[in-house]
Amino acid sequence: MPGPDRRVFLKTTALAGGALLLADPVALARSALAAEPPAAMSIARWSEGALATADLTTMATRLTEAAIASVGGMARFVSQGDVVWIKPNIGWNRRPELAANTNPDVVGTLVRLCHEAGAKTVKVGDHSCHPARQAYRTSGIAAAAEANGAQVAYLDQRRFVDTKLAGRRLDTWPIYAEIMAADLVINVPVVKHHGLTGASVAMKNYMGVIGGQRNAWHQNMAPCLADITRFMKPQITVVDAVRVLTAHGPQGGDPNDVQLRGVVAAGTDIVALDAFGAALLGHEPQEIETIQAAADRGLGTLDFQSLAPVESTLS
Amino acid sequence: MSVARKARHLVWTRRTVQTVALVLFVVLLAANRPTTGLAPDAPVALFFDLDPLVMVGAWLSTHTLAGASLLGLVTILITLVFGRVFCGWFCPLGTLHNLVGSIRDQYRRVTIRVEKYSRWQRAKYYLLAALLVMSLTGANWLGILDPFSLLYRSLALTVIPAADLAVGAAANAIYLGDPHLGALHLRDLTEPFYTWWRNNVTATELRVFTGAGLIFLIFVATLVLNLVRNRFWCRYLCPLGGLLGAFSVRPLLRLTSDADTCNGCGECTLGCPAAAQPEQPDQWLATECFGCWNCVDKCRNESLDFTWRRPSRQTSTGSLDLGKRRLLTATVAGLGGLALMRLTPQAHGQTYNPGLIRPPGALAEREFLQRCVQCSLCMQVCPTAALQPAWHQAGLEGLWTPVLVPAIGYCEFECHACGQVCPTEAIEPLPLAVKKKVNIGLAVIDTTRCLPFAYDRECIVCEEHCPIPTKAITFELRETVLRDGSMRTLKFPVVDPDLCTGCGICETKCPFQDLAAIRITSAGEDRHPGNQPVLASRDSNQENYGY
Repeated sequence: MPGPDRRVFLKTTALAGGALLLADPVALARSALAAEPPAAMSIARWSEGALATADLTTMATRLTEAAIASVGGMARFVSQGDVVWIKPNIGWNRRPELAANTNPDVVGTLVRLCHEAGAKTVKVGDHSCHPARQAYRTSGIAAAAEANGAQVAYLDQRRFVDTKLAGRRLDTWPIYAEIMAADLVINVPVVKHHGLTGASVAMKNYMGVIGGQRNAWHQNMAPCLADITRFMKPQITVVDAVRVLTAHGPQGGDPNDVQLRGVVAAGTDIVALDAFGAALLGHEPQEIETIQAAADRGLGTLDFQSLAPVESTLS
Repeated sequence: MSVARKARHLVWTRRTVQTVALVLFVVLLAANRPTTGLAPDAPVALFFDLDPLVMVGAWLSTHTLAGASLLGLVTILITLVFGRVFCGWFCPLGTLHNLVGSIRDQYRRVTIRVEKYSRWQRAKYYLLAALLVMSLTGANWLGILDPFSLLYRSLALTVIPAADLAVGAAANAIYLGDPHLGALHLRDLTEPFYTWWRNNVTATELRVFTGAGLIFLIFVATLVLNLVRNRFWCRYLCPLGGLLGAFSVRPLLRLTSDADTCNGCGECTLGCPAAAQPEQPDQWLATECFGCWNCVDKCRNESLDFTWRRPSRQTSTGSLDLGKRRLLTATVAGLGGLALMRLTPQAHGQTYNPGLIRPPGALAEREFLQRCVQCSLCMQVCPTAALQPAWHQAGLEGLWTPVLVPAIGYCEFECHACGQVCPTEAIEPLPLAVKKKVNIGLAVIDTTRCLPFAYDRECIVCEEHCPIPTKAITFELRETVLRDGSMRTLKFPVVDPDLCTGCGICETKCPFQDLAAIRITSAGEDRHPGNQPVLASRDSNQENYGY
């Protein structure tokens, strides 16, 4: 087992000792009072009665802010001068209303929060299934990212580098060099139905950092996803369930398959967040083979409630 | 103003106009890169709209004219007044030839050779006659030799991909190798340029095109021929030059020379790119002259000038002397060539090539071939490089027309750009909502390769990528016996022929990259009532997906 690296050590130290240096008096008070580590998971919900009338941009923005604040704020994950890669799902040339891609306002808000936490550069990019220019544009993510000062990164097929995963199913696989070079990768999936796996949430979203013949993973998805998840060492995952695609996923296209749920969750345990996403789709997490396999590997817990997620309801 | 000063000014004005036109051609080509999947804002087909050969060809073959192509009349009008100034002042391919010619003259060490008029320059008229006869009988091969088609095709399918290959290879080698001196990284210099390049020139992953090598060789050959004769292409071969030549038998502006001051030095001939015989006062060839003003500029005695003449007055050489028998030969050659190209079962609808998949909105094959001018605008705008120049799929008659090759790319569901940019409406400019329902082919599953059928493995990548909102490809759960005798439930793909449009993404994305286990053939394409194996559901055309 590799030991904690220097970055993790520095961050832990900063968290433990550096709270006194924080300018935010609320955070200072909270950490002084509680004197316990920040929450591992948060769930921000829009109150159900107000869903129908809400402005979706405002909703997505505030839910994202609340979810991040409840897991200790972006400064818990982003250090001064960091290069952050935000990895939404921008797989498909589909409009935001169809919920095939991550909500653009969730992405835009995360970009802003990263900058506020001191990030030097925030890059937004995904290995799209459809032509990237079109998918980035139609999804609204290019515009939202640019408006918040991010670099919109169009991946280049020639920059996937064979990388040692040393997983149980895969030994090496091409990974995008620039993503590996980032100080922090924020995984921002959208909760979707998926024809093969049943549910597509955060672990499945890592298929956007790999190259090679990735469609072959379909033959053995669960162990492959466990391998890439273990390799990526997720620090923070933000799950967009503002809109949820409930059928004909992962691409969708029929507005009747989309449900407005008004939920954003965040946390450090990617398996718990996948389980939460599966639950939103009406599954028991154990039913989803990829999630069960990751839990069996010890990558996280299926029982997200055991993490005592900080829940907030907005309206 | 003296004649010499006027000529000097006009020569420089011409060079400026030529440069602007060449730059505009390239800018419009770059503007046609696939950024949005919708119609580009820029008038990307402008040059083809101005091209009277495209206009005449479409008129002869279809007996109709598309609105914008009437701009070709402007070109003809200008030619009637000024002669072939289109060739001398505007044509970007001509400008490229000019450049090569100038470079040749700069570096030529041997004695300067006087290039006299050759009767072979009439070849372009015979070529034009043959091509127009073919157009009249419905085979539009004009685009093979039309200068704009030739240049566009060469740049879009060969020069830009080659440049992208080189730029990308260099930038990626520097990025991945990261050579640096202390904190000075070479890639900090190269990355901004590469980003600019990808945003403004290509806007896609590397796209390469089938048979680009030959297209490139032909392009280079037309340039190299300038070493044999200056502007060889324009003088001897260009059918558009021929057409404009035919319209400049009696231009209003003509070269006149003052026999009293001419000392017969021949300087004017050295400057003439067209071998239009400016040095022989009675033998100036109006149909060959590009109106470039070089001869007037070269003349030290101010003996030459362009002056206005009434059209009723004959030019010194009279008319275009092509010879009836030669013209007849050319006509027969055109008909013969056409007959040979048509002597195939496919040309008569007796069989359909499963690989001849046309872009959505393409007219029925006969009408399509009447209109397509092989310009490759549709290929340049296609975001997935699905549209490729045809070599064999459509027969010789359809050489370099667009064919959709799902093994390479697919028809993107939210894109209808090819029909929007087509200058001749060989591909109809369909609204996006209509285009989404056009059937260009049909998917068929090859159960001898498909993973769950042939190898007991899970896959269903085709179902995942099928863009039809309610899925033309679904799967059914079936039990299968594994090698050890145990049972396993797998997902087996199924194609619904009523919903499948043949977009081809399933074939593109199939894990089998040599021969996909799900393939598109032209069967079921809307444009051919004779190629419908599946009886369509009664209301399949009235469906509305509501997106």
